[in-house]
Amino acid sequence: MPEYVTLTIDGARIRAPRGMSVLDAALDHGICIPHLCHMRSFLDIGVCRLCLVEVEDDGREKITASCTLEAEEGMVIRAHTEKILKLRRNVAELLVAEAPNSRAIQDLAARCGVTEVRYPFHHASCVLCGRCVRVCSEVWQSRSLGMIGRGKETHVALPFNERPEYCKRCWACREVCPMTIAPCDGPMKEGEEYLCGKCASQLTMVEYSPDSCVWCRLGEGFQCTRQHS
Amino acid sequence: MDVVNAFRRELDRKGLSRKVALRVTGCHGFCEQEPLAIVEPENIFYCRIRSDDVPKIVSDTLIKGKILDELLYTDPISGENVIREDDIPFYRKQDRVLLGQSKLVDPCKIEDYIAIGGYTALAKVLNSMKPEEVIAEVKASGLRGRGGGGFPTARKWETCRKVPGTPKFVICNADEGDPGAFMNRSVLEGNPHSVLEGMIIGAYAIGAEHGFIYVRTEYPLALEHSRIAIEQARECGLLGENILSSGLSFDVRVARGAGAFVSGESTALMAALEGKLGEPRPKDVHTVEKGYRNLPSNLNNVETWADVPIIINNGSAWFAAKGTAKSPGTKIFALTGKVKNTGLVEVTLDTTLKTILYDIGGGAADGKEIKAVQVGGPSGGCIPAKLFDLPVDFEALTEAGAMIGSGGMVVMDEGTCMVDVARYFLEFLQDESCGKCAPCRLGIDRILEIVTDITMGRGTGKQLALMEELGETIALASLCALGKTSPNPVLTTLRYFRPEYEAHIREHRCPAGVCRALVHYAIDPENCTGCGACLKACPQDAITGEKKEPHVINEEICTRCGICKEECKFDAVTVR
Repeated sequence: MPEYVTLTIDGARIRAPRGMSVLDAALDHGICIPHLCHMRSFLDIGVCRLCLVEVEDDGREKITASCTLEAEEGMVIRAHTEKILKLRRNVAELLVAEAPNSRAIQDLAARCGVTEVRYPFHHASCVLCGRCVRVCSEVWQSRSLGMIGRGKETHVALPFNERPEYCKRCWACREVCPMTIAPCDGPMKEGEEYLCGKCASQLTMVEYSPDSCVWCRLGEGFQCTRQHS
Repeated sequence: MDVVNAFRRELDRKGLSRKVALRVTGCHGFCEQEPLAIVEPENIFYCRIRSDDVPKIVSDTLIKGKILDELLYTDPISGENVIREDDIPFYRKQDRVLLGQSKLVDPCKIEDYIAIGGYTALAKVLNSMKPEEVIAEVKASGLRGRGGGGFPTARKWETCRKVPGTPKFVICNADEGDPGAFMNRSVLEGNPHSVLEGMIIGAYAIGAEHGFIYVRTEYPLALEHSRIAIEQARECGLLGENILSSGLSFDVRVARGAGAFVSGESTALMAALEGKLGEPRPKDVHTVEKGYRNLPSNLNNVETWADVPIIINNGSAWFAAKGTAKSPGTKIFALTGKVKNTGLVEVTLDTTLKTILYDIGGGAADGKEIKAVQVGGPSGGCIPAKLFDLPVDFEALTEAGAMIGSGGMVVMDEGTCMVDVARYFLEFLQDESCGKCAPCRLGIDRILEIVTDITMGRGTGKQLALMEELGETIALASLCALGKTSPNPVLTTLRYFRPEYEAHIREHRCPAGVCRALVHYAIDPENCTGCGACLKACPQDAITGEKKEPHVINEEICTRCGICKEECKFDAVTVR
């Protein structure tokens, strides 16, 4: 029997197994906190900073990512305050401005309330969410991919830029990549980027399971207009 | 080194090497006047010595007791020569608790450190104090971390002591990387045993078995001196098994950093120690609980460790009496930039910026007005001249939008463009950000994009509000302290120097004449004699004109390099 803790998220009392992250606990109970780098049962690295929440700590308010925050007894979490929504919107805006050519990211941005992008678009092909690196090393134990470089030069790479023999060619890296899902009408042309806001996919293969948003059970948390069937 | 060798040779030649003790010490802090020598016991202070001055010092001062006026320090205000070190204004207003030791010890000799009372604090602790009493003493002193955040040291130690899990580690953070900061380096190079003693006391209080000194590779001398110090301490039984027969076993290793600013962040530093990529991780579980190899690890800055033996020896009350109630003690600041006396300055934390900049620093370098000072390196903020009455304590600086940080102070005068300063620090941060989390990597990139636009005259009024909003987002959403503090230079310059930003945007004008795209070079026909010096010097051939007739600059070709202005002897080249 796992040990349980009780915490409060957005006013709802939630029971979660000890050791579970606040994000997983929230998602399990239908409180949708947008996220990009998080993948269930993978090591969380907390880099996309979309799943930010407010947590009360010794009477002080702290803002932190919920994927790397372990649920504790009596914890009080607020995931949808004005301040958090604004931060999330701004981070999502940065992400979509960097890589507008991804339905997953467009969709995330639209649902975080981004209606206008105030920066010139960069056409990056990677947002360094690290999903591919983790799926490669944690599921397939292959470690064929890694992050190299620092700061602006950081990028995902193969060892010495050559596909090693121990790469099992499973292409799980591509499947979990938020960039592999191109926007609805095909890749956008430079200078004609726009946010359609119509998609209601979440980050995975909507094609395989057309009727369910993958982690989002209720979608109310971020005012999702899509109805659960 | 030339000067030192010259002294050695000269003393040998005169047969004085047995009568006169030559001590090669670490930095004395007065960078502007170095290299320098102090003749004891008279405390005569000779500065800017060259090797050819050495024979004279030996024959006149050492043998005949005559003071050499030409080598003395001249007070720039009174114009008089100062003989004794203690009377120099630069030193007079300081409280050199830590730095003062450096001139008394040869960093490579443990005997020197022991001679000034070194390791007595350790002996006192091991013989007569329980670990809890040590923590209580440090707590009573109110010592706060000198590495930036100002977290109460004793509270960190206490948590680390109470957390289950062995072995425990103590780590000394000497990965000082901000532009214009070199106090950790100076302490480690000049007096490594003080740091080591602090670490051993800390290890005893916490119950740690192993220690690391994490030094960046760019500090080879600090690396070497720490290694020598550890070696000597081991030989003397101050490190290793059963230290001073107390039952305490503790050893220290030096770890070399690879020169990344972000590795000074505690979690990144520990990842680097483990041999991993020096990237921070979320800090919801603190490093005192799960740090190096997921074991309890207590990390403190060089200066914090060096303060510990001083507190034990002099008592917590003595330390707490210095500075303010919330920020007690002294702190070393690295004073650089457009100020007369650059160097390392150690002051109590209630000292005002004015005292540091004018009384100790001697005011602006070339008769200009000091406009602002960047406190705390790239993560700190620019404090304008109108706030120079602020004391340098943790709270006052944070309230003004800066922070003590590691203690860098870069002074700026009228000739500095604040937008350009913000751009410089952003570029530094963009290079040094680890690139892991989105707000820091993408956010700094976007702010830099906007600031660059403004310096190029392409800025719009809307962008200022956007920058403020984005800055706030980065500060709240980033993963580690580097990201969280990275917008500070932009936010403080925006807060205090908004008119400068506005001049760039609305009038396409750089008030300080720094931003190249916005300045215009022209030749004043009244002053121009037509000598042709500028015409010859111009690398772009942008200047035309007949001999003895006023010359003209073709703005379309001009690259605003400023060479013509330097060449002109008649002040005819104007910049606006």
